[in-house]
Amino acid sequence: MGGKVTCTLGEVKQRADFIIYWGGNPAECHPRHFSKYTLMQKSKFLPKGRKDRTMVLVDIRETKSVKASDIFLQVRPGKDFELITILRALVKEQQVTDEQIEETGLSREALNDLVSRMKAAKFGCMFFGMGLSMTRGKHMNSAALLTLAAEMNAFTKFVAMPMRGHGNVTGADVIMRWQTGFPFGISFNRGYPRYNPGEFSTIDVLVRGDCDAAFIIGADPGGTMPQPAINHLKRIPTIVLDPHITHTSKLARVHITTAAQGIAAPGTAYRMDEIPMPLKPALKSPYPSDEEVVRRINEAIAKKPFWLPEGSMPQMVTEQV
Amino acid sequence: MLRITGGKVYDPANKIDGQIKDLNIDADGKFSDGQCDSRTIDATGMIVMPGGVDVHTHVAGGAINFARAMTPEDHRRTQAFIRTKTRRSGLGGMAPTTFATGYLYAGMGWTTVNEAAVPVLSARHTHEELADIPIVDKSTLTLMANNEIMLDQMEAGEYERARDVVAWYIWAAKSYGVKAVNPGGVAAWKWGGDARNLSSPIEGYNKLTPGTIVTQLARICDDLGLPHPMHLHCNDLGAPGNIKTTLDTLKHLEGSRAHIAHSQYHAYGGDGWETICSATAELAEYFNSHPNITTDAGAVIFGDTVTITADGPWQHLLYKLTGRKWGNLDVENETGCGIVPYTYRPSNLVNAVQWACGLELLLLIQSPWQVFLSTDHPNGGCFWRYPEIIKLLMSRDFRDECIKKLPSNIKNKIVLPEIAREYTLMDVATSMSAGPARALGLKQKGNLGTGCDGDVVIYDQEDDPGEMFAHPRYVIKAGEVIIDDGEIREAPDGREYIAKPFYDPATNDFMRPLFEDCYTMQFENYPVEIERVHGASIHDCKNDQDS
Ligand SMILES: [Zn+2]
Repeated sequence: MGGKVTCTLGEVKQRADFIIYWGGNPAECHPRHFSKYTLMQKSKFLPKGRKDRTMVLVDIRETKSVKASDIFLQVRPGKDFELITILRALVKEQQVTDEQIEETGLSREALNDLVSRMKAAKFGCMFFGMGLSMTRGKHMNSAALLTLAAEMNAFTKFVAMPMRGHGNVTGADVIMRWQTGFPFGISFNRGYPRYNPGEFSTIDVLVRGDCDAAFIIGADPGGTMPQPAINHLKRIPTIVLDPHITHTSKLARVHITTAAQGIAAPGTAYRMDEIPMPLKPALKSPYPSDEEVVRRINEAIAKKPFWLPEGSMPQMVTEQV
Repeated sequence: MLRITGGKVYDPANKIDGQIKDLNIDADGKFSDGQCDSRTIDATGMIVMPGGVDVHTHVAGGAINFARAMTPEDHRRTQAFIRTKTRRSGLGGMAPTTFATGYLYAGMGWTTVNEAAVPVLSARHTHEELADIPIVDKSTLTLMANNEIMLDQMEAGEYERARDVVAWYIWAAKSYGVKAVNPGGVAAWKWGGDARNLSSPIEGYNKLTPGTIVTQLARICDDLGLPHPMHLHCNDLGAPGNIKTTLDTLKHLEGSRAHIAHSQYHAYGGDGWETICSATAELAEYFNSHPNITTDAGAVIFGDTVTITADGPWQHLLYKLTGRKWGNLDVENETGCGIVPYTYRPSNLVNAVQWACGLELLLLIQSPWQVFLSTDHPNGGCFWRYPEIIKLLMSRDFRDECIKKLPSNIKNKIVLPEIAREYTLMDVATSMSAGPARALGLKQKGNLGTGCDGDVVIYDQEDDPGEMFAHPRYVIKAGEVIIDDGEIREAPDGREYIAKPFYDPATNDFMRPLFEDCYTMQFENYPVEIERVHGASIHDCKNDQDS
């Protein structure tokens, strides 16, 4: 069960008359989200713009986003999963006890009201932020919310979408998926892609000291990763491609200054709804792009002896894990 | 450059049916009359055919990539490709990764594939993925039938405007033609509805019906001189009794060319899941009397797969039936797509009927120039299982064996047991290569004649056609030996075919304000730059507007 029922942001802009932000603070973290996509836009279907839309905010604390919302539901910390499960039950008109509701810090009236509004919506959209996906039971929480959205389609149109972080995280995720089948946490050490987030994610590999070199593009792990991981980056040859001096570039053995993507180098970035956007540079840079540096490194590596002995041809493997 | 001698050649486009013939491929990778023998392959005793052409598959873009993300558990029990000097690593399975997709197609002798569903909004993504599919040549179809800007023009009776809008989108997406999915139904789905009746207005419109969209879009494709006619996924996919809708749709096409996608999913009788039965005889009869219309089978193979289509309503139905994972992605202004993992089981009556229907269509439509091998990959099964279908088509005994495993109450629901026809090698070569190439308007494909692309597959003759077609001895792409003695040797990049239909230059100014209203992307950022398409080969369309 479960899955993912979603849409592109243009659909939200055009059609969504009911919007739920769950565990996020868009007013401060995605400041243009309200004006560009969710609240302020008028459309053929929602001619009065903001007046035609209802916005619900679910969060553990009051943030600046509360002011923008029509309804604010303050859920007790760590009770998101319980609240989603209760909503799933109420939507299907199943029994929920008072104790169960009390645990979430909300009232039965508030939840019944929310459910009837959700069902009355013509097009509902739930955005879930870091607050939901990064707390206790993170995968369970987002999976449960996606399921709630899927189940709402028995009554009306409903979709859900994660609010992603900064940079082109989505782009990396999309490309890794088409080349390897997995979004991240991939190991190639057997010559083909294997996936195990707790084992092959960058932090795990670094903390265990499993890698003997690091190559870093478009990220600054030296500023955010746990100390043991940073210590290992200092120990091994770390190569950084970055337009700026960063925490990571300071500890790296080699820092290659590259042109800033989107400002001085062209490319493609993927939006949080996985729609690709072309980046058109406004400036010229004396530095090469990331792409060019990687291409030249690749060419140099191709001149080295191949990792398999000359003339050998590995068989394809069929693995049962 | 390459010479192939002594093989039994099956080249339907030139009516060569098993005669021994030598082939020569010149330095440009094309068949030539002159002898050029830097290397000679002795194909004595072997079967030689033009490389396979898949007229309808889903191998790149947002939807299949969404499916990859939804099936990590499948990747672990699947075929893995280890990196070598000429080959990148990858994984096979229900939704193979890009590099593996190229190796798997080529490894089976297919050298051209048509990605049948690209939303313009993510066309950029699709082209980037296609660039990572090696060896095979590619083309893409743009999803049009639920595009609101075009529908508004049709509603207003502005046929010429609608035609210009279609042409503008094809060129903006750098695609090869038009795919119409559940006309009007996907637009209605965005409000949770569907369009199942060809002559009732679509939700949100006063006059416009699915029937009008079908008729006008087919005419637009013809008027624009597109190499491939409208590629139509009919309304009411997968529903019992949908034969009525399908035949009704076909009537709206009279006088136009058209290709009907995966017709297996549109050939059911009965009025519910208990009474569902095959209605392929009726549908086949229509094709047999209308040679201007082609189709691909969309055959079903028993086993695990993942279904992805732009048909949101159908996917929601499938989700309700199976209770399994459901992915859905609605794309602004244009279309939507749904994703559900699925297992076809011989013991399931509905699945058994579907399995029989696909084979029945392939066997009951008399001309293999009209019905092509496909599973609507990955919907009916994965493309790398085509050899199993070929075996079913070539051997009645094998079919009878499989029919024995179906539920006993299937008896009066299918006609497969009564069909005696067995495919000849010539039929196979037509249905897997020459026919789809012709339907796609790719004159240089599926043809071993002088000047055509040197794409060839060579098989050791074996008694079991399933084995024979699964493991070609040699595969040659544009004169380059890709599979040599059964092993992948080279993995060159393929080309991408693009159509450039004419449109009134003023269409840009017309689109801009509508665009900014409908989309969340700047107008200038929308069209894919031609430099972004790797190996682009542009097909100028003949402009038929005056004739
Ligand atoms: Zn399809």
